[in-house]
Amino acid sequence: MKYRIIILIFLVSFSSCKKYLDVNQTPNNPTSVPPSTILPNTTIALGFTVGNDLNRVTSAFSQHIAGVANQTAAYDIYNIDGSFDNQWNGEIYGGAVSNLQILISQYANTSPAYSGIAKIQLAYIFSVATDLWGDVPYSQAGTGLLNETPRFDKQEDIYLGNAGSSIVGLLDLVKSGISDLDKTSLLKPTRDDIAYAGDLTKWKRAANTLLLKLALQMSNRNAALAKSTIQSVIDGNLFINANNLDLEVPFGNSVGNQNPIFTFNNVNRTGDQMMSTRLFNLALSLNDTVRLGKFFTKPSGRFTSYDNGTTVAPPLLAARSNYNTYLTGINGEAPIRLLTNFQTQFILAEGALVLGTSGLANTYFQAGIRANMLKVGMTSAEVDGYFATNAAVVTLNAAASVEDQRKQIITQKYIAMIGNGIEAYNDYRRTGYPVLALVNNPQGDNPNVIPTRITYTPGELSRNPNAPNPRPRTDVKVWWAK
Amino acid sequence: MRKIVFFLLCIVISSQLFAQQMVTGRVTDENGAPVSNVSVIPRGGKNGTMTGADGTFTLKVDASAKTLLVSSVGMNAREIAINGNTTNYQITLTKNSANLVEVVVTSLGIIRDKRSLSYATQTLKADQFADKGEVNIINALQGKVAGVIITGASGGAGASTNINIRGISSFTGSNQPLFVIDGIPVSNDVDRTNGGPLGTLGDNQPANRAADIDMNNVESINILKGPAAAVLYGSRASAGAIIITTKKGGNGKGKAEVVANSSYSFQSAIGLPPVQNEFGQGLNGIYNPISTASWGPRFGSTPSIVNGLIPSAGGVATGPAADYRAYPNNIAEFFETGTISENSVSINGGDALRNQKFSIGNLNHIGILPNTSLKRTNVAFAANSTLGNKIKLGGGITFTNTLQNGILGGNGQSALGVLAGLSRSIDLTTSRVNGTYKNPNGSNNFVIPNTENPYFGAFENPLKSNLYRFTANTTVSYDPTTWLNISYRLGLDAYVDRRKQVFAVGSGRVPAGQVLENTIYRSEVNGDLIITATKNNLFVKGLNLTGLVGQNVNQRTFQSTQIQGDNLAIPGFYNISNATTLTNGSFENNSNRRLVGYYAQASFSYNNYLFLELTGRVDQSSTLPVEKNTYFYPSISTGFVFTDALKMNSKILSYGKIRASYAKVGRDAGPYQLSNLYVSGGYGNNVASFSFPFGTVAGFGASSTIAPITLAPEFTTSYEAGINLQFLRNRISLDVTYFDQVSRSQIINVGLAPSTGYASKTTNIGELSNKGIEVLLSGTVIKSKSLTWDVTGNFTKIKNNVVSIAPGIDNFAIPGSAFIGSVPSIKVNFPYGVIIGGTIPRSPDGERLINPATGGYQPTIAGQVLADPNPEYTLGFTNNFTYKSLSLGFTFDFTKGGQILSFTSALYKGRGVLDVTAIDRDQPRILPGVIKVGDKFVPNNIQVPAQTYWQTLGGLQSEFNVYDATVFRLRELSLGYNMPASLYKSLGLNGMRFSIFGRNLFYNAPNSIIDPAVNTQGAGNIRGLELQSAPNARTIGANLKITL
Repeated sequence: MKYRIIILIFLVSFSSCKKYLDVNQTPNNPTSVPPSTILPNTTIALGFTVGNDLNRVTSAFSQHIAGVANQTAAYDIYNIDGSFDNQWNGEIYGGAVSNLQILISQYANTSPAYSGIAKIQLAYIFSVATDLWGDVPYSQAGTGLLNETPRFDKQEDIYLGNAGSSIVGLLDLVKSGISDLDKTSLLKPTRDDIAYAGDLTKWKRAANTLLLKLALQMSNRNAALAKSTIQSVIDGNLFINANNLDLEVPFGNSVGNQNPIFTFNNVNRTGDQMMSTRLFNLALSLNDTVRLGKFFTKPSGRFTSYDNGTTVAPPLLAARSNYNTYLTGINGEAPIRLLTNFQTQFILAEGALVLGTSGLANTYFQAGIRANMLKVGMTSAEVDGYFATNAAVVTLNAAASVEDQRKQIITQKYIAMIGNGIEAYNDYRRTGYPVLALVNNPQGDNPNVIPTRITYTPGELSRNPNAPNPRPRTDVKVWWAK
Repeated sequence: MRKIVFFLLCIVISSQLFAQQMVTGRVTDENGAPVSNVSVIPRGGKNGTMTGADGTFTLKVDASAKTLLVSSVGMNAREIAINGNTTNYQITLTKNSANLVEVVVTSLGIIRDKRSLSYATQTLKADQFADKGEVNIINALQGKVAGVIITGASGGAGASTNINIRGISSFTGSNQPLFVIDGIPVSNDVDRTNGGPLGTLGDNQPANRAADIDMNNVESINILKGPAAAVLYGSRASAGAIIITTKKGGNGKGKAEVVANSSYSFQSAIGLPPVQNEFGQGLNGIYNPISTASWGPRFGSTPSIVNGLIPSAGGVATGPAADYRAYPNNIAEFFETGTISENSVSINGGDALRNQKFSIGNLNHIGILPNTSLKRTNVAFAANSTLGNKIKLGGGITFTNTLQNGILGGNGQSALGVLAGLSRSIDLTTSRVNGTYKNPNGSNNFVIPNTENPYFGAFENPLKSNLYRFTANTTVSYDPTTWLNISYRLGLDAYVDRRKQVFAVGSGRVPAGQVLENTIYRSEVNGDLIITATKNNLFVKGLNLTGLVGQNVNQRTFQSTQIQGDNLAIPGFYNISNATTLTNGSFENNSNRRLVGYYAQASFSYNNYLFLELTGRVDQSSTLPVEKNTYFYPSISTGFVFTDALKMNSKILSYGKIRASYAKVGRDAGPYQLSNLYVSGGYGNNVASFSFPFGTVAGFGASSTIAPITLAPEFTTSYEAGINLQFLRNRISLDVTYFDQVSRSQIINVGLAPSTGYASKTTNIGELSNKGIEVLLSGTVIKSKSLTWDVTGNFTKIKNNVVSIAPGIDNFAIPGSAFIGSVPSIKVNFPYGVIIGGTIPRSPDGERLINPATGGYQPTIAGQVLADPNPEYTLGFTNNFTYKSLSLGFTFDFTKGGQILSFTSALYKGRGVLDVTAIDRDQPRILPGVIKVGDKFVPNNIQVPAQTYWQTLGGLQSEFNVYDATVFRLRELSLGYNMPASLYKSLGLNGMRFSIFGRNLFYNAPNSIIDPAVNTQGAGNIRGLELQSAPNARTIGANLKITL
């Protein structure tokens, strides 16, 4: 009897457990997804990157806005060390780059419509990174275990490529993306392409405008290549040349889908930043306050600004001029604009003026101002009125030096770019315009210089032995800078 | 089957037929107080009993039995002759402060003589932790156990408590010990629900599940400290184990014994920073009625336009002078008088053969924060039955319902976030009294715009948790022969916690309103087959062997589902149907893991003075790759009672034992770590965020963690040596343990260079070491007929070091929520959990560098160690006096070192609320530091206003708000009185005890503004942060215990 009980127990207890242990397949997450779910994610990543913290720091450096409290106030006086982990990790490399690399590596052969868009987006996001940080992980970045310590490629190599180091430059990456779009594609984006609804021709336009931007950005170092690149885009005549062709990342008006400019300024950090007095004074000097009112609010009918870096008590919250609906939407639904018609026009104006590309600089200049004024919501009559009464502002002074005319172009571009501090800050460092004074009470690595780059992030510095250590100070210019 | 039943019945019936007699009696101590749980066994017989709470027992003994052996832990055993004429024995036992035959409940519920154990354990009996005003069983251990560090999250009702035994041994796994009740593992998890966009950084400090345990029902707690002690539990106990034994029935009288216990206590907040009441709202000495700071004019200043007390526009007065005065208690009055009411009744009956116990307990804890509570009801039933000499059945079931109502804390928009450093001229109390913290339309009303009234946060944005839990165990035990035992124990622990977090429309963190429905289900099924065999006089006389083989099957299942409803259409209506967006933050998270273990143990003892124990366990885990999922780990331990072996017993040294052990414990991975995953996309943090789906468009991306190519279990190796000496006839006992523990090949998501596109990869890498000393000293200082004075003390020093992470990786963040700029991290060559942030650059002499342009400090350098939360050492010291029927006990503890980053302290300084900020406010100050001039450093001489000075020192994540957490504390004090028999007999009772107690009565933290013994994130690996959470609480109350 007793042995039966013992045997029974053993039988029950020591029976096979192979199947019993086979329970480790996750019910929580998919292990593969179609490209149509990745593309919306990477597109939002681009928009979020351009609209979030990097926009705040560059808008403060560009003196579009003045920091009032918390991080933006620190950025305003150049205290940025230790920042931007979220941007570098979550938005750029872990948000856009890694997923774009998946689209490229998995779909270049079967569905190049996806890899083509991905290459254009990848070039865009890397340009954001290298323009702000200088040398960044590029050719080895975003590929997970293939390169656990990505090399920091030189900005020159990132723009121009370096065959010796197996680096395909941004210009070539964009061109490769354009050629992918011409290939036969098994899967094609439709509504998952939240920017252009699957219109690949529009993506080619965006790609060519990106080439214009990249070419001009590095023109201080290689004017000939910049000129030929811009000229070939002009000759191809397929770029963003109308406001309705702009590359914009859409956002929504429901919680969780709103654009980051709105959620920061209108929901979570309403008191952290406001319009800069310096921008306000510039707009006043140009009689440009109608347009300014599209960018910034006028509580009780008047602008209230704050000087960068000042320690005087800020105005009451309700009285402050902060971003207006052109940038925030009524409820967060404004798009984040990545590449625009007005940007194209200003680039072509500068190209014609400085590099000698085809077309009249003044024509492009005026087209840029007009495109922007209409874009921000001024009526045609208002625009015409402004042009009529401010002819000197909206006309390049042919009698002045090329440099002074460039200053005119960049000043207008600077106003047009309110809400995209990254482009304004890039232009400032490339040309020195508009002329900006130091903020009050400057601090940071070098209180005597408006930072010429932003600081590498603590996360990358502590985990990538290839990161420059010690990091470059914020007064070290990037390769393309003036 | 029918045969078996018949067979069993035969035994039951036949066992009734022996000639027996009834014996009853009562056991008391020297003072006449009843002694419960005394073992009474007929000499040579098997079926003994235990005394009940009133000290009485009833026993059937065979006619042949001649004597009764009466014994209890801590008492001198006695043999009482059975006299045929006496049926009611009055037995007095005398105390023996260090009784050598001390039984200990070890792994798998195996009861062992402590003498035979070759590793450190520590047992606490009910009178050492119960009825002392604490509701969380972990907190009740504070100050009493060597080698254990316990820190509560706060004094909030139900706030969780962190417990680490012998330091932290796993980088990212749980470092909480395994909790075992009556032989079955139970959950002590903390389930967290996000407190809005701040995630768990702003949550309500939910309870750890040990809070569900009714302490009134606990007989003893044994702490198994090292891997050697816990090796039979395997992976689960690699961070040690807390073995809880509940009270059992069997008072032997054949009639029901009823014990009723009732206590009531009051709680109040302690550790609030002192405030100034001379200056109110404003900046730079100018009044501003909407300012969060208290840098306004001095109270009593003559109102003027210049000082802002007369409102003006364009230099012309526009209204009467402001009503400007101090509200000295506006912060303190936010904290209310908490109450704890606890009632329990237990009924037990039967004898050692068949017994039952039923208990019901109710706890109603109203917290010190408004709108907070913890309400708990426990119902337990247990029964044991010996069906003859060969089969025993036992089992128990406990039902628990725990309701926790919590309010959110944390930086920014939360009740406690706004309260920290509240301006002195804000009248907060009135808004509570009148209900004016909200407007008639239900929206928030506070003088500071865009800021939540703390009462609005407390009453309008609560989190409610409603937990139902069943814990059941059953054991069948069978003795085929006298030397062999086969038993199977099956346990189930399962709970469902239904939570609801609401955010009112217009709340600070979620202005559009939110309803969050979170349901958490967790269950654990555990089965153990244990076969033990005993062989005495193996090979030679005096060599005894106990062998054990066993098999363990374990399954743990978890599910958390959450629906987050955003954008509430109708204010005040908190149903998910009222939301217009249901996709943000909604999720379903499941996990299921299984483990099969086989283990064996051989315990040799030679003449009861030389002991050797060998243990091995093989685990198979579902969470590891098939080719690596079977792993073995051994232990060996040995002990030598040299005083017995060498016959050196003297009056001075009465007992001496040395012991040493080596053990290795394997630990498996978390579930589902082996494949690469995609996750729904999301960007941003608490200042701006985006999450998919975008309208109806889904967005997925690669998970930020890369799956391992292969994965092996991680191992902790431990060496332990100890000595136990007892002096003066065991009146003084000293127990010293040294341990050296190394954890290698950790399964971690090791941080990758972010530019790889991924945050981490799962792999086996890294090494963490813990070395430490534990000292336990106990003694009886005075022992006379009417007075005894017992002292116990413990000392713990643990040195933890992160030896390595991975090549090229200097540090990475501990998984969990953190603010950028103060990140709890794992950093090479530092103890686990240092907080990394920015520190001010210093001169070669260590002086802080001043910015010559401003007189403030130079900008901080990021990535530096800001704080180290690990204490240097801890001390605990307990005194117990007994004088006749009176007993007095108190426990002090002392924590030396460790640091805490306190946001609350920062705000008190930066906002000009701390008392010292009022001193000489009109005088300029100089920040301590040096100015670099050329290549020299000269002392700073730049004057700054007091406001600038204090704002500089009041930076939230500044090194100036890292405090030394050294604290001395009167942890508990209790005074008890056993009512004289004449009193309770006249009431028809069998016993009555009254006690008063206090907890946290006094503390002294010489270097901290707040009480530093808090930990905002509660139980878990993140320590040393106080992010504007609740303060600690003091408890004072009384307890009455009645035995019917």
